[in-house]
Amino acid sequence: MSRLLAPSLLVLAGISLLAMALSVSVGSVSVPAGDLLSVLSGGGSKLHQTLIFDLRLPRTLAAFATGGLLAVAGALMQVLLRNPLADPYVLGLSGGAAVGALLAMLAGLGTALISGSAFAGALLATLLVFGLAHGTGSWTPSRLLLTGVVVAAGWGAVITLMLAIAPAQRLPGMLYWLMGDVSYARTPWPGLVLLLVVCLILFPLGRSLNVLARGPMQAAALGVAVRPLEWLIYLVASLLTATAVTTAGSIGFVGLVVPHMLRLVLGNDQRIVLPACALAGGTLLVLADALARVVIAPEQLPVGVITALLGVPIFLYLLYRSQG
Amino acid sequence: MRHGQRKMTLRALAALMLAGACEAAIGAVCATDDRGEQVCLEQPAQRIAALSPGATELVYASGAGDKVVAVVAYSDYPPAAKEVPSVGSHTRLDLERLMTLQPDLVIGWVTGNPPAQLAALEDLGIPVFFIEPRTFDGVSSTIERLAILAGSEDAGFAEAERFRKGIKELAARYEGADPVPVFYQVWDEPLMTVNDNHLIGKVITLCGGRNVFGDLKRLVPRISDEAVLAANPEAILAGGMGEENRQWLDRWAAFPQLAATRHDNLYFVPPSLIQRPTPRLLHGSRLFCEKLDEARAHRANTGPGQP
Repeated sequence: MSRLLAPSLLVLAGISLLAMALSVSVGSVSVPAGDLLSVLSGGGSKLHQTLIFDLRLPRTLAAFATGGLLAVAGALMQVLLRNPLADPYVLGLSGGAAVGALLAMLAGLGTALISGSAFAGALLATLLVFGLAHGTGSWTPSRLLLTGVVVAAGWGAVITLMLAIAPAQRLPGMLYWLMGDVSYARTPWPGLVLLLVVCLILFPLGRSLNVLARGPMQAAALGVAVRPLEWLIYLVASLLTATAVTTAGSIGFVGLVVPHMLRLVLGNDQRIVLPACALAGGTLLVLADALARVVIAPEQLPVGVITALLGVPIFLYLLYRSQG
Repeated sequence: MRHGQRKMTLRALAALMLAGACEAAIGAVCATDDRGEQVCLEQPAQRIAALSPGATELVYASGAGDKVVAVVAYSDYPPAAKEVPSVGSHTRLDLERLMTLQPDLVIGWVTGNPPAQLAALEDLGIPVFFIEPRTFDGVSSTIERLAILAGSEDAGFAEAERFRKGIKELAARYEGADPVPVFYQVWDEPLMTVNDNHLIGKVITLCGGRNVFGDLKRLVPRISDEAVLAANPEAILAGGMGEENRQWLDRWAAFPQLAATRHDNLYFVPPSLIQRPTPRLLHGSRLFCEKLDEARAHRANTGPGQP
């Protein structure tokens, strides 16, 4: 089966590269194709080099990493919770990250500390949900889901409280952070490296994940160590989401819809779906960000607007077709 | 002997290096921004990007309007600024377009611009001067500091002095004026006002008003209708959406027990004159003071002791 599906990964990788090439070559300032080629071969004007290498390329890579991380995290959460509505944020991780980031902003800290604080908040949220769901009773996906959703509601209340008491001049910055945007990404490398490492780690676990997706009883019966596997999925998905949120704020939609889209097209083999999520999620965010930069330039749209506008019709079409 | 010679050579070398350093420093300009960081340029700025409507006004006021190459959305004053290319909104900057305009100085807004994007500009080697005037002195000193960086000291310092003198005159005129209890309405839904630390709060004090919410802790407190009725201000001044919109004052007309309503002291002040920390604030302050004078005149008509 994987022999049949491997080409689909190659096709997706090709599309990703095309999307990235497109994203690097378009922008609010048009760089003629000839100049573009000379810049890529190391020549061209200094301005064009700055545009391509200092602004567009890092941003494109950051968008790819963020989209990939979110889509893989979403796919993992859907397997773990066996719930189609699960997304990377369902267990309150983005809420924890937001509280961390907003606290740092209230304290007037710099960008690096805001990122650090967001990451710490995400990890705290992860451990909190993990500890509470673990509790004294048994550790079931529904218990985890319920704990996560309630904790997420708690974070939501804390965020609203912080926005309500924040000094007016700090409010805009806080609201933009909550909207999420790739333009806040300073460096793409942590996200890209993590994405690659996680794909390599998860690949050998693909079969176990496939079995787990059908239910823990079957998985246990087939010799999968269910509990450790579930913990691993939870921790990996949390780490992925925390990194994505730290890079670009909480960008919605990608983590929920990309895994579903791929399952509709490629079937539910996690060995294919997970790497495909990394590629397709990254591609969707790269294209959305390219559009967000140019649609009403020089004004810039929040990328979440575009991911939803692109993703909703594609997803509905695939869903409609799969039923017909 | 040889030792002395070497010493001489070293000294000569040091002198040469010093001379070189001085040569490089000639024409250099430095100023401290509102983050407390010193920003130095090798020569006065020639191409300035102003990343908030207020910054645009201040750069024009400093006499460097002809050097502005980039502004952001809503930079509508002075009218010439509308002709300058925009690089997005102050909350989401189009860095590509900004880089293409090749600014040699960017005027950022401490809390209004996305810090990550300004940090990216600094990484690209473009000096960013952060401003956020919160006092009358802050406005005039910002104009002066911008004038130093742009090499337009003559015009800039004159404008700063004009502003400083105008505010001082108002302060002198209203020093002993009868206090008027004032409520300033920044926003309608939710109902918001300012405390004494806000620049608008300082305008109220300047004009001999007494901000009924001046002691509240937050700079821009959110309050209830009840709190306004309880404070019973003698004059209510409001901004509004747009420059000619008295709508926000209508809600107070429904409460005849309010002193402000009874004395017909519901005034509109164009928000762009008073809500931006720029030289136009002087004009706005004069307008504000005139309204409070009107309120005092209404008091005389209805008899004293009945606020």
